[in-house]
Amino acid sequence: MNRTIKTTLVAVLAGITLLLSLATIFAPKKDFSENENRVLESAPKLSADTIKDGSFMDNTETYVSDHFILRDVFMTVKTVYERTTGRNRINNIYMCEDGYYIEEYDGLQNKARIEGAIKRLVERTTEKKVRAVLVPTAVTVYADKLPATAKNADQEADRKAVEKSVQEYADSLGEGDFSWVDVASALKNAGDEQLFYKLDHHWTTYGAYLAYREIIKSFGFEPLAREQFTEKTVSTEFRGTFASKVNDLTAKPDTITAFESDRLSLRVTYSDKKLETDSLYAPEYLSKKDKYSYFLNNQNTFVEVHNENAQTEKVLAVIKDSYANCMIPFLSEHFETVYVFDTRYYRGKVSDFIAENGVTDVLFLYNMYTIDTDLGITSIR
Amino acid sequence: MVFSSLFFYFLFLPLFLVLYYVLPKRAKNYALLAFSLVFYAWGEPVYVFLMLGMTLSDYTIGRIMNRFDQAPKKRKLCLVCSVVIDLSCLAFFKYAGFLVGMVNAIPGVMIPLRDIALPIGISFFTFQTMSYTIDLYRREVTVEKNYFEYLMYVSMFPQLIAGPIVRYKTVKQELHERTIRRDEVVDGAMRFFYGLMKKVLLANRLGTLFDDATAAANPSMAFAWMGAVAFTLQLYLDFSAYSDMAIGLGQMLGFHFNENFKYPLAADSVTDFWRRWHISLSTWFRDYVYIPLGGNRCKVPRQIFNLAVVWFLTGLWHGASWNYVLWGVYYGILLCLEKFVYGKKLEKAPKVLRHIYLCFIVVVGFTVFAIEDFRKMASYLSHMFTARGGVCSSEILFYLQNYGFVLFVAILVSLPLFPLLKRKLETVGKRAQWILGTCYAVLIAVLFLVTVSYMVADTYNPFLYFRF
Repeated sequence: MNRTIKTTLVAVLAGITLLLSLATIFAPKKDFSENENRVLESAPKLSADTIKDGSFMDNTETYVSDHFILRDVFMTVKTVYERTTGRNRINNIYMCEDGYYIEEYDGLQNKARIEGAIKRLVERTTEKKVRAVLVPTAVTVYADKLPATAKNADQEADRKAVEKSVQEYADSLGEGDFSWVDVASALKNAGDEQLFYKLDHHWTTYGAYLAYREIIKSFGFEPLAREQFTEKTVSTEFRGTFASKVNDLTAKPDTITAFESDRLSLRVTYSDKKLETDSLYAPEYLSKKDKYSYFLNNQNTFVEVHNENAQTEKVLAVIKDSYANCMIPFLSEHFETVYVFDTRYYRGKVSDFIAENGVTDVLFLYNMYTIDTDLGITSIR
Repeated sequence: MVFSSLFFYFLFLPLFLVLYYVLPKRAKNYALLAFSLVFYAWGEPVYVFLMLGMTLSDYTIGRIMNRFDQAPKKRKLCLVCSVVIDLSCLAFFKYAGFLVGMVNAIPGVMIPLRDIALPIGISFFTFQTMSYTIDLYRREVTVEKNYFEYLMYVSMFPQLIAGPIVRYKTVKQELHERTIRRDEVVDGAMRFFYGLMKKVLLANRLGTLFDDATAAANPSMAFAWMGAVAFTLQLYLDFSAYSDMAIGLGQMLGFHFNENFKYPLAADSVTDFWRRWHISLSTWFRDYVYIPLGGNRCKVPRQIFNLAVVWFLTGLWHGASWNYVLWGVYYGILLCLEKFVYGKKLEKAPKVLRHIYLCFIVVVGFTVFAIEDFRKMASYLSHMFTARGGVCSSEILFYLQNYGFVLFVAILVSLPLFPLLKRKLETVGKRAQWILGTCYAVLIAVLFLVTVSYMVADTYNPFLYFRF
């Protein structure tokens, strides 16, 4: 290379370096990264102790990287570069057709734990009508959108194996009313409308609606028709968890739709937030990163929903992950009371609660990822 | 601190370089020394004292040896002291756990074992400081009278933690008197950028491929080989990138270190490979172990013995575990075979075949090098050499898609195409040179930004508890 070009190049690179250094040092610092959903490192404290135990050095390095200038932009550069050079999986997320991000599925790690938990629930709720759902995720429903070279375990085989094992056990008890609800076929045959968010791991409200139809039929109700709801776009700027993992600012954000109904007259109690309201929605989340928390006010250990105008006086207990959050509005149409448990946090005995509070029906609903990672399900007793 | 961390590259290095260039000549060494000590203390502050102690010991021994210039026996005693102290430190801090583990394997013996953290770079700086007293004994260098300059030689941060092993006699002159020329600063900086990109864009990217291959329950032959090849490339690129950065930094500061890698993966025999791979280590063993033992100026059995010693030690130097020893012995045997059995025949084989032969040996060798646990190593090798996991599997497509580009570029960079291209470029016209040069510079600038984005992204750590 020509000397002049070389010198210029080195000067440019050194200049960029210095510029980034100074900008990082002098730019105002944030305390919290919404994108990463964590508190950023605070300025390191210099003292003999922190040097001796090395925490000063570690903190300094983390501090610099946490507050590095244009962090999100650099992250995007990296993602765009990786995609340009052929990568179709970034942080375990596949880049799929139509702009979908779909998480790699590598099998159930805790099959025995899952089956054990559901079986215990079944044997303690033989007096009730119990329906269980394992929701297949986009990796199954949108299998045809995955890149041809993607490698995934067989989610449907895993789901069916768990269902079979639990059903056989329930049948062997000789009493009770337990069955699985298959929502997979409804989702797979749904046509073109969006069932999962493109940049998040949740299903859309429409996806949840389709599943609701199957579930409510199995409880013996007639599902409400889609026309009976008003579909309202509540956000067009939703960049969910997958967007955080992949980090591409150029990806088109999702739209969140709510299926609203004028039939509900609600009294909702959120235990953790000590909050009593008349709504199953929390609009304040729409201006935050985690917009899916619009449904059912983020995570709550226990939510109690009363609907004065419900079709029946029946009482439903829902043991669930966040997939159920956008489905509760549908269920509340039919049940006077819906108790919602988040097993990750609930420390009481769910089965005792069910026995003591006049619960008539029980719904167990998890998707195929959280069922594997949620340690709380073992506490279903 | 690693060179590819944001902290080093964006704070430590700029601050140091600015200071270094503005300070007057005499103060430069002290700035370099101070920054080197901070650099070393960054990882494990206490071990700075170990380094201070070892350098002080060799410095003092050097002074004493110099005083007894006319007393060969005393000089020899000095040398023995120096070597014993250095090797004891190395043995204690690096090999104690390994040795105790071996002794404890004898039934009935149970020596309590305390976990000692490995002082970073101890294998490198021990060999550096030893080279001084040995060369002094051999009268190949003169005594160093300034302790701080001696300490600076050993602790100099560019080559402190990952080599090359710079000998005292290589830099003695420059320790005291060196000139910093603009062209050399530019060349050194370019070399550093090149190394940084090599590390971040290639070596770091390949790591997960081998991890996946070793984690796979039943990898196919194709996948196992792909993993092993990826590890080989990763190791070479990572290690040589460090040397590039060290040599480049040295050059920016006015030092000239010797080359450490000369495209080893383009070698065509094991002998050739070791002339190109980690040159500063192999020449160290050659000059300080092999030749003193008699080298190849003795009968064949003794030569084999000498080689065995050298390669046992070379293996052991790489780590306190038997797989490194096995790896060293593996090369010792292959070198003997080339030397005494089929070397002549090999030379007559076509170049392509010789190269394939070498690549095969190197890839298998690094597989042994990579896996410390012998059972896992045996299992992995069996997947490479038998169709236990099938010959090929569909996941290969996934890995080709996701790693194909990196693998391809890594192979190109590992072969001496760059110098070839450079020579070709010099034959084209001036105008064309300008155009091509500018295009190349733009490409490097873009890749530099991608490198920075990876340095940022590698620290990216989303905490997605809202997984539910």
